[in-house]
Amino acid sequence: MINVYEAQAANKRKSALIIGLFILFVTVSVYVISQAMGVYFGYEPGGLGVAGLAFIISGLITFVSYYASDKIVLSISGARPADKKKDFNFYTVTENLSIATGIPKPKLYVIEDSAPNAFATGRDPDHAVVCATTGLLQKLTRTELEGVIAHELSHIKNYDTRLMSIVAVLVGMVALLADIFLRVSFRSGRSDRRESQASAIFLLLGIIFAILSPIISQLIQLAVSRRREFFADSSSVALTRQPSGLISALEKIAKDHEPLEAANKATAHLYIVNPFKEKGHGAVDWLAGLFNTHPPLSERIAALTKMV
Amino acid sequence: MIYLLIGILVLAGLWVIATYNFFVSSKTRIKASVQEIGNQLKRQADLIPNLESSVKGYLAHEKGIFEKLTEARKAIATAVDSGNVQKMADAGAKLAAVLPSLTIAVEDNPELKGSDVVAKLMDELRDTADKIMYARRLVIDLTADYNVRRVTMPSSLVANLLKLEELPGLITPTEGKHLKVSEEETETPKVKL
Repeated sequence: MINVYEAQAANKRKSALIIGLFILFVTVSVYVISQAMGVYFGYEPGGLGVAGLAFIISGLITFVSYYASDKIVLSISGARPADKKKDFNFYTVTENLSIATGIPKPKLYVIEDSAPNAFATGRDPDHAVVCATTGLLQKLTRTELEGVIAHELSHIKNYDTRLMSIVAVLVGMVALLADIFLRVSFRSGRSDRRESQASAIFLLLGIIFAILSPIISQLIQLAVSRRREFFADSSSVALTRQPSGLISALEKIAKDHEPLEAANKATAHLYIVNPFKEKGHGAVDWLAGLFNTHPPLSERIAALTKMV
Repeated sequence: MIYLLIGILVLAGLWVIATYNFFVSSKTRIKASVQEIGNQLKRQADLIPNLESSVKGYLAHEKGIFEKLTEARKAIATAVDSGNVQKMADAGAKLAAVLPSLTIAVEDNPELKGSDVVAKLMDELRDTADKIMYARRLVIDLTADYNVRRVTMPSSLVANLLKLEELPGLITPTEGKHLKVSEEETETPKVKL
């Protein structure tokens, strides 16, 4: 038994911890790789210069997707704007929950797809979009829909799109930097190697980091994503005060095994449940879980049940 | 050393400003959220006459319900004019109380059940009740945030300096029947269909 406020506070703490860990890891990786690159180039600032370049490239790529996230996602998913008459529950439930969160009502869209799912995106609450599939709107009752929409609105209110974009910039930077380093260091040996022991260690460390850090930073990115899902679940309960609504919604969605056609890898983390559905059971579960954008539904339901 | 001290002082100053801003902006937001309750009640009061006229033909023989609805609407109008959160909440509850009798009326008249007009009425009434409930939730949440920050360290230092009062939020009686459970309420209710 845990009350909503404690669940919220715990999620906030864990979220901050993972993000702190992530930033620390990225800083250390960038430092080590650029030092090693400095050794390779023969002068210190060389590596940091490349790191800066990697940051700018990765930032530019992500900035476009961040700034236009609402438009890009919608053009991919092929959604139509929601209508108050046609989608009465969807429209009014979002309207009501926006009152409770104190954010402006996001733009609403409907995807014609029988797989029940929903997602939220947009760089800030003023440019937010909530999108639901027709399958979700047909299968859920009003109370269940409230749970799902409250989850999505929490993503918007907590600036999750912004957070995940920043994380993506850093992951991209590490990947680029490692890639550049591995390319230059393996191409051909330099002729005048006048290395001290310290720089030899940096070179070795640099290679190890260049190989491992893109994978590790991506794993931490996914851990951040999963933590934000738990956070949005508990925020949803804080808003509706009816954990049962979200629980039965998640159960209904879990029973449905249809994959969502409109989803792709780039947008997967935005949905209320993983649109590709979880596969695999038993021993590989834990390993597969590390690569998931969403925590397993059973774990989410268990966390919500504690709040009842 | 001196720069370190100056740095710490500047950071502390910034923190005090941020905390001060939290408290004053919270107060303004709470005021706005109270107005939002009024806004929603006003919407409800405007909506109901239209809904009434659209279903009156179907429910001509259920006059009592419409009288109750009209009464609830008037109560809301006066509550909004008074600007008192508590009166607004009471008036909203009055309307919510009419809903079950309307449900019964619909159930007593099976020919109405399939009617779109009546389904629409029920939807709209539930929605308007939800809107007011969520508007109240915002007042409750904002005041709870404010009151927690007022008493917890370290923001309580600033709050004490400013001599901030605890805000009431949604006024609910701290004594009374709703905090006690009677003998019959301990029994699990049996639903007879």
